[in-house]
Amino acid sequence: MDENIIQKSQMRNKVIKYFLLIVLIAFLGYKSVYFRKLDDVKAASSSKAFNATTFARNFYDNKLLLRADSAVDLGALISLLRSEPGQAFNKYSNALAIGNIRYFLVRGEGRITSIGDYATAIELAGQSVKTNINIATEFVYGNAIRDASGLLKLNDFSNTADFNSISENINSIVRNEVLPGFVAKSKPGIGVKFAGAIELNEKYLAIDSIEVIPIRISVLD
Amino acid sequence: MTRTIIQIFLVCLLVGFCFNSCNNSPTSGDSKKKVAIVVSTLNNPWFVFLAETAAAQVRDLGYESKIFDSQNNTALETEHFENALASGYNAILFNPTDADGSVANVRRAKDANVPVFCMDREVNTTDGATSQILSDNYSGCVALGKYFVQSLRKKGKYVELLGLVNDNNTWNRSKGFHSVVDNYPELKMVAQQSADFDRNKAMEVLESILQAHPDIDAVFCGNDAMASGAYQALTAAGKTNVKVFGFDGAEDVIEAIRSGKIEATGMQFPQLIAEHAAIFADEYFKGKRDFATKMPVAVELVTKKNVDNYLAYGKKEEVQAQP
Repeated sequence: MDENIIQKSQMRNKVIKYFLLIVLIAFLGYKSVYFRKLDDVKAASSSKAFNATTFARNFYDNKLLLRADSAVDLGALISLLRSEPGQAFNKYSNALAIGNIRYFLVRGEGRITSIGDYATAIELAGQSVKTNINIATEFVYGNAIRDASGLLKLNDFSNTADFNSISENINSIVRNEVLPGFVAKSKPGIGVKFAGAIELNEKYLAIDSIEVIPIRISVLD
Repeated sequence: MTRTIIQIFLVCLLVGFCFNSCNNSPTSGDSKKKVAIVVSTLNNPWFVFLAETAAAQVRDLGYESKIFDSQNNTALETEHFENALASGYNAILFNPTDADGSVANVRRAKDANVPVFCMDREVNTTDGATSQILSDNYSGCVALGKYFVQSLRKKGKYVELLGLVNDNNTWNRSKGFHSVVDNYPELKMVAQQSADFDRNKAMEVLESILQAHPDIDAVFCGNDAMASGAYQALTAAGKTNVKVFGFDGAEDVIEAIRSGKIEATGMQFPQLIAEHAAIFADEYFKGKRDFATKMPVAVELVTKKNVDNYLAYGKKEEVQAQP
């Protein structure tokens, strides 16, 4: 009888011990694991991250347009590229990468000669030799505008992805704010005034197929 | 008296020897310097060219060089770093295996005051390598993306074959491509899968994808080895009208573009990358310390229209002319 009582008492103690142990483990587990919505985590991390949209907007409004005012005249640049290409590249081109690809910030005026699927052809005004160029209306992508300005340096940014996202946002401004008005008013014979970026391969120079990625463009007539 | 003269003579000899040694030490020190070239793999001709060009440039600059093959294995890469540091190498020209996994190796070298110059692939730290000389993958793939959209006339179904998922080049290339292509809603990516930059794996992966998507119009590949594998899979399936796009400027792909089998590639310039890395090491030995943390190298679009301008790997004409 006494043995039964002792056994029951030991059993009860064991149950209490295990119960307390389970409560303790549950308490520690609850305190060491917590759940947050993935959206909240992403939002928190992006708020600390580089804001390329704001940066690109400020850069475009306050620096790029000002720099474009003092860009080289495209007609004069083409003449120099024909006569002394080395001097033209040394004096007016910018590039962050080593190699043959270099960028120029240019401005000019001309008259629309034709409208294509991807670009609008323009004959430059005031040229002794007839000079045609294209204004890109479809493919405004890549780093041409950013790098042509010569205003930004890769090593001022912590990573390449942030740096490339600046270009994506500048290009987006051009595609959404600059081009629609121009495309709507474009027709052959109309005068235009523009500023933009061009990309040229220094080794394989193709002056006859210059395409300007516009930063600013307006119709004159 | 004789003893004094001998003593003075010995002192003069010793002083003269010291002056001589001091004056000659930078030159003699430089000539003995050793440069380790650690590359991710020698199983891909592109990296063989990168490593051998770097080694040749190092030798031309008057230093010893040795190539270490990491076989795409970070653990083996760590062993190479340990061996190079223990063997007294003075600089490391480094093509990393893994953007994150290789950071510790770069830091280990930095702690040992051995400069590391990354070639073609980057490590995810700005305070490890002395300089990183990298192809501008993003811009190169923006150009490929534009050409892709034009070639497909803004609509069609396509597959993307990615490289190693832990390599930044994989994503910089993919992001550059998608920064253009994703703006065209009628261009639909039906599959995106990694083939590890490997030709055979690309062939297997595309064969499998073709079972589910037999009606694709194009394949965009993160490198030329995968483009060759993709072309092989398409040919085997009798789909010769599917357009294939690569990235690298490998010899077989340049030939394939010329013969119209592959649409386009992004020409990288491993010779330029390797030569700059070796020159930077030389400049470091001579005291320069203010290197650009990252130095991009331009990538050029190669299509059938301009393929005659290019030799494989962006080699200069004089290099190609050698036997």
